[in-house]
Amino acid sequence: MLKAQKGYEPKRRYLREKIALFFVRSSGIFTMAVMAFILIYIVGHGISAISFSFLTEFPKDNMTAGGIFPAILGTLILALGALLTAIPLGFGAAIYLAEYARPGPLVSAIRLGVANLAGVPSVVFGLFGLALFVTEFGFGRSILSGSLTLGLLILPTVTAAAEEALRQTPQSFREAALALGASRWQAIRQVVLPAALPGMLTGAILALGRAAGETAPIIFTASAAYTLAMPDSVFREVMALSTHILNLATNGTHIEETRPQQFGSALVLLILVLGLSLVAIIIRAKLKRGRKW
Amino acid sequence: MVEEKKEKVIIRAKNVDFYYGDFHALKNISLDCMEKEVTAMIGPSGCGKSTFLKLLNRMNDFVPGARLSGEVTISGESIYGPNADPVDIRRRVGMVFQRPNPFPKSIYDNITYGPKLIGIKKPDLDVIVERALKAAALWDEVKDLLNKSALELSGGQQQRVCIARALALEPDILLMDEPTSALDPIATSKVEEWIKTAELSIVIVTHNMQQAARISDKTAFFFLGELIEFGPTLELFTRPRESKTENYITGRFG
Repeated sequence: MLKAQKGYEPKRRYLREKIALFFVRSSGIFTMAVMAFILIYIVGHGISAISFSFLTEFPKDNMTAGGIFPAILGTLILALGALLTAIPLGFGAAIYLAEYARPGPLVSAIRLGVANLAGVPSVVFGLFGLALFVTEFGFGRSILSGSLTLGLLILPTVTAAAEEALRQTPQSFREAALALGASRWQAIRQVVLPAALPGMLTGAILALGRAAGETAPIIFTASAAYTLAMPDSVFREVMALSTHILNLATNGTHIEETRPQQFGSALVLLILVLGLSLVAIIIRAKLKRGRKW
Repeated sequence: MVEEKKEKVIIRAKNVDFYYGDFHALKNISLDCMEKEVTAMIGPSGCGKSTFLKLLNRMNDFVPGARLSGEVTISGESIYGPNADPVDIRRRVGMVFQRPNPFPKSIYDNITYGPKLIGIKKPDLDVIVERALKAAALWDEVKDLLNKSALELSGGQQQRVCIARALALEPDILLMDEPTSALDPIATSKVEEWIKTAELSIVIVTHNMQQAARISDKTAFFFLGELIEFGPTLELFTRPRESKTENYITGRFG
């Protein structure tokens, strides 16, 4: 038997093993603890504000009473609008990148664009949306401007996730369809897309969860501090949960009195975002069960 | 006296060179395949046999940097000429791949995929499904499961679904790229049995020499991109003309 060299004796190795384990396990526990703390804090402070009327009524008395229904509705509308913006563009770009593009300057440029778009701070998207959609296109502060801005914000994530889902679809599906006389597009539409779609949608929904909680992109482009009525067109401003929390906590004259509403709104927003993630997880689980390739 | 056989050339390759970028994958290949015969392509990995197979239905078109010179005709028509339509060629030249690759759809939808692409509708599709599955010797096993996902079948059944799917278009030629390499012996013998009885021009690539000997009328031996020897299977395996062929079939290399 070879003799272990100095510093390599079993005892030393066991010690290093223990130290390494201690650090990685602590990191794991710490991460979970932070998450748990935030959850407990928000739930603890917000749960008392939640009631049926809080979820279904308009705010009253300078927001110190009443509900947050228009903010919930606004967030959902903006999220849906963002999805409608990002899905056609993102899925289109993903199909091009995964199915058609051959390495070259154009593809490099598109990839660079996607990667950089993902790194742009959300407040910059807000200013961009203000300049382009609100002012230049004349959409004003509206559902339309906010949806487009949020859509652009999640576009890189949606594109990357969709491309990944397309790449995971076996090459043999494409070959089989092409060998049966399908055109490239027919093979994609009839065989590749149905197989990749659940994965593509999962990515889009997860991105949406992030967009729903964003504040900066919609401050300048879509959100109103207070609306009296339901929006009746895409050119109307809406309230949104994220900006509602911001307004109550920083701008109002009743910052202290509205604490319960602030935490209540935060809790609702959190549930909304977690709900979206849950939908994505369910789709993914279904996908894994259904596929055998 | 030798009986005059009326053999018709269905595939003719003349002085074909094929490149992947700078790589010279096929060197000056000339070869004729006869109608309703089984032509086997054998040779060690990377010898060009699969490349040759895939250029017969233009599946190499999708490989970046692929380039061909020379002439390939099917029933006398050039398939690389200016008027050749790859999609049309693939309808006339069916293909079965190395691994069974049914779509994640029902058996019925797998078989009808090709016919639907050219606008064929029910009830004609029902007739086609039955005929194709019978031709692939699978009908009795799956006739009550047509709406079941093809992915739930066994490997051998999946491969026969793929054969039936190709046959549904009533191709003149069927290309098979090592169609039994992913199958167990029983499934293999079923597919081989089918090949032997099929009334179809078949070109099959195989790394299994016994298989080539069992099922083919003619055999082509490829080595390093060249066609070393091509002739009746029995002759090639019992009295090879080239020493390279002899070395390969006796297992001295490959």
